[in-house]
Amino acid sequence: MIRLVNVNKYFYRGDPREVHALKDVNLSIQSGEFTVITGPSGCGKTTLLNAIGVLDNVSEGEIWLEDREIAHLPATQKTDIRLNSIGFVFQAYNLVPVLTVEENIGFIMRLQGYSDEAIRIRVREVASILQIDQKLDSLPNFLSGGQQQRVAVARAVASKPKIILADEPTANLDSKNSTALMEMMKELNRKEGITILFSSHDEYVMKNARRTILLNDGAVVSS
Amino acid sequence: MFSLALKNIFFYKGRSLTTFLLTFVSVFLFIVYVAFMDGAHRSMLKNALDVYTGSLQIYHKEYREKGGYDYLIDDVSKPLGILARTKGLKAYASRLETYGIASSKKHSSAIMLTGVDFDKEAQLSELKKALKKGTYNSKGACVYMGETLAKRLHTDIGEKISFVGSAVDYSFVAELFDVCGIFKTGMYDFDSQSAFMNRRYFDSIFLSEGMATYIVAMADSLGENDKIAAHIADRLPPQLELYTWKTLMHSMVELMKMDSFFGYISMGLFFMVIFFVIMIYGFINVNARMKEFGVLRAIGVSDARVSALLFTEILLLTLAAMALAVPLGAYVAYYFQVHPIIIAGMSDMYKSYGVVSDRVPTLFDPVIIAWNSALVFGLNMLSILYPIRYVRSFTPVEEIHHV
Amino acid sequence: MFKTVAHMAYQNAFLRKSRALLLVLMIGLSMAVMVGLEGLYDGMSQHMIEKTKRSDCGDISLFAPRYRTENSIVYHISNAGKKVALLQGMKGVRDAIWRIESEGLAQTARKSRPARVVGIDVADEEKFGRYSDFLQKGSLEFGKDGAFIGNVLADKLKLLLGSKVIFSMQDSSGQLQSVALRIKAIIHTTNIMLDDRAIYISRQKLNKLLSLPPKSATQIAVLAGDTEVKTLQQHIKKAFPKLDAKRFAALYPQLKQTQQLLDVFNEISFAIVMTVVFIGILGVMYVSVLDRIREFGILLGIGYAYRYIRLQVFLEALFLALAGFVLGSVLGLLFLVYLKYHGLDLSVFSSGMSMFGLDSTIHAVIKPGYFVSTFIAIVTASLLSIFLPLRKIKRLDPIEVIRSIG
Repeated sequence: MIRLVNVNKYFYRGDPREVHALKDVNLSIQSGEFTVITGPSGCGKTTLLNAIGVLDNVSEGEIWLEDREIAHLPATQKTDIRLNSIGFVFQAYNLVPVLTVEENIGFIMRLQGYSDEAIRIRVREVASILQIDQKLDSLPNFLSGGQQQRVAVARAVASKPKIILADEPTANLDSKNSTALMEMMKELNRKEGITILFSSHDEYVMKNARRTILLNDGAVVSS
Repeated sequence: MFSLALKNIFFYKGRSLTTFLLTFVSVFLFIVYVAFMDGAHRSMLKNALDVYTGSLQIYHKEYREKGGYDYLIDDVSKPLGILARTKGLKAYASRLETYGIASSKKHSSAIMLTGVDFDKEAQLSELKKALKKGTYNSKGACVYMGETLAKRLHTDIGEKISFVGSAVDYSFVAELFDVCGIFKTGMYDFDSQSAFMNRRYFDSIFLSEGMATYIVAMADSLGENDKIAAHIADRLPPQLELYTWKTLMHSMVELMKMDSFFGYISMGLFFMVIFFVIMIYGFINVNARMKEFGVLRAIGVSDARVSALLFTEILLLTLAAMALAVPLGAYVAYYFQVHPIIIAGMSDMYKSYGVVSDRVPTLFDPVIIAWNSALVFGLNMLSILYPIRYVRSFTPVEEIHHV
Repeated sequence: MFKTVAHMAYQNAFLRKSRALLLVLMIGLSMAVMVGLEGLYDGMSQHMIEKTKRSDCGDISLFAPRYRTENSIVYHISNAGKKVALLQGMKGVRDAIWRIESEGLAQTARKSRPARVVGIDVADEEKFGRYSDFLQKGSLEFGKDGAFIGNVLADKLKLLLGSKVIFSMQDSSGQLQSVALRIKAIIHTTNIMLDDRAIYISRQKLNKLLSLPPKSATQIAVLAGDTEVKTLQQHIKKAFPKLDAKRFAALYPQLKQTQQLLDVFNEISFAIVMTVVFIGILGVMYVSVLDRIREFGILLGIGYAYRYIRLQVFLEALFLALAGFVLGSVLGLLFLVYLKYHGLDLSVFSSGMSMFGLDSTIHAVIKPGYFVSTFIAIVTASLLSIFLPLRKIKRLDPIEVIRSIG
């Protein structure tokens, strides 16, 4: 489903501060996989996720989503891919502060043009799985960290993307919330068949993943 | 996006309030300021035209360049006939001007003596309204003179003055007239130099029957004056030419334009500062929301939609401020048009520029108000361009990690 | 410690470059336009007043009692030459001059206009008010039958250099007198009362025509030196108790009012602009403090006294405002210097401006006061703008802040 071919990423290229953040990365991730990218701090996990999510440009190489090369598309088409094919979960939740939980979860579907009724039904369905259906009218700032992260996950899955990219989603959570979140993600992976790709160095996350990709200094050490 | 914009407006109260208030102040100030400026100009012009000049005048060609009796209109019946058939004129009349020296027992002064039809002038000019003493519509060897001139000649109603000048055939004229009326318009030059006489007697002395220095007319509406003037000019005999108030009052029109020029420059300064402050607050606001924009863009909100969101926010704030400021500004403009401001302390200055009355009404003109509001609206919309550019200069990843 | 605080303030003030740049640009550009306008408006009113004083009334004018109400040469000042000499010797008087004038009728073969004839001495006028500056065309020599004429009157009577004009007036005995004059110069003083109505001839000749004793005057104009005009007026009144001594403001109330109106307008503009500038600085400072609220909390936690934070925030606001002030001063000065030497060409409004008593090019004046008042206002705005942000810091609990970071 996702294929990376000789992907390289440099920051400050040609500058004394140059960093070679991804080094000849070659990877294949199949549909429905539950994968975690791990490695020490600064090894390039986030950079790799950003590259797959076409959030950031790669310096060299190709990224294929199904049968389409997506790394070198114009910005507007990349935006379309992010909107319609990829769901994101960030370390710092990053919810829209002025929108209620319900509006945050349904936000992407609204951008995709779904009807109010379709959004309402789907939001309730996802909120119920993630056990935040009692908080639909709250604003994000009135939720705990764990609840906010569940809302972020709900937002990512509500529009049924092909893949969810989650960057250290448990980093700001305590172990109880981390465990709960992982269980829910597994459930979603199983029930909805969504491909999930994590970056994490949380032991618990790694244990629960079906596949682990180890990165070190920008290069894939094992996958 | 609309509801998100609306929620953002209520969420970021500081920015919203500042933008709202500054926009309100800009629009209100602009509408009221321009209403006062245009009102003062309009009243200055209207006074000047109403007092004596009229909105259009017809001369024999070359009179205004060369002057003298050689270029008088020698048969007024034709142009007067054209004016009689023209719609949209409040009144019209012919005048014949001559200059000479008027003397009382001990004092002399140079004057402009004008032969007029008093009945017609009563509708056309302010001559009748300006009556201070004696009678307006005098017959026979009677003059109706300015108050300052009467003072200068040390003369009063019922006394005699002599006039030395020339008739239109250049023959010498020396006559005695009675002072029958004294007027005051408030315009110094006019009141200190002018005297009027009924046309029939004037013509018998100056041998000017059927002739005129010029024909003056006043349109019902100044806005229609150019159209009426063009209509009349097309029908005039070739030896005659028509001037509208824009040429006749050229200096005053320029003076008003200059005043407007400086007025707009001053307003421009206010707008510049306000524009900057609105932009700074908009900029600070997007800076604080950088993470949010990063997330929005990461989850698939296009750049165009982010721009639309910011535009919608400023649009709603601007429209809200305008919804309050425009009716309020318009009301003030309207109120002071109906109840003019009296600037008593400024009367000397205003009089010297031709504003006879010290009552200065504003001008309530919906078109001007609409234009002024549109200008502030446009500036507000421009003020968000830089913040939008700033947001778009980052990648979503940079924005998410923005500190 | 002050050095450290100032250093931190400086670094923080310009940390957010775009934000700082916007604020500096706002202050700088608005200040430049504002001082430019102030200079231009002051230039306009000074120009009108200065030319009127030079061409007519000086700082103080003396008249015979009743002359100004009766406007008749019967009420003239005799032995004006002697009085002028006395005045010239008075402390606080820069120069004095006498003139004689009379109302009458100016006539050409085709046109006539009420006008006034003014008897002058060209050499004295040159000394008093640089008369040659007013020469538009021709030469400043009367010769036998020569006269100068105001440019607007010349245009109304269609008179050119060399044209003939007859001027008729009443002499002191009540007899009508006429004199044929040939135009030698066209004069443009920008004083509409003269340009529109005056014909100038030699004052000896006019005295003779009016059958007045030599050196009879209708007006003595005095230019003040360093002494305050009001004080000088009192001295003159004491020295010449029989004469009516009037200051410029009483003689040209409309010009004085114009000047006052422009001053008020400048002050209102200044207040509005500075209020908006204050709002701008306040916004930037408030956000700047909020951005770093944790940093301030930590500083308080590690023992940095509140007074240092207060000083630091004030200095930050001041540095930003001063950067704007420096930019505004440089741009404003450049703008003013340009307007002073090249002027603002408004010849498209030339006839309207002459009605207002102005040249078609307006030259600005430069007063240090523009910069001083702006500096004071900007420092005040900086000082006021920190109260709200400081309140936020004052309410901080360092323990809470440190805990929230952990």
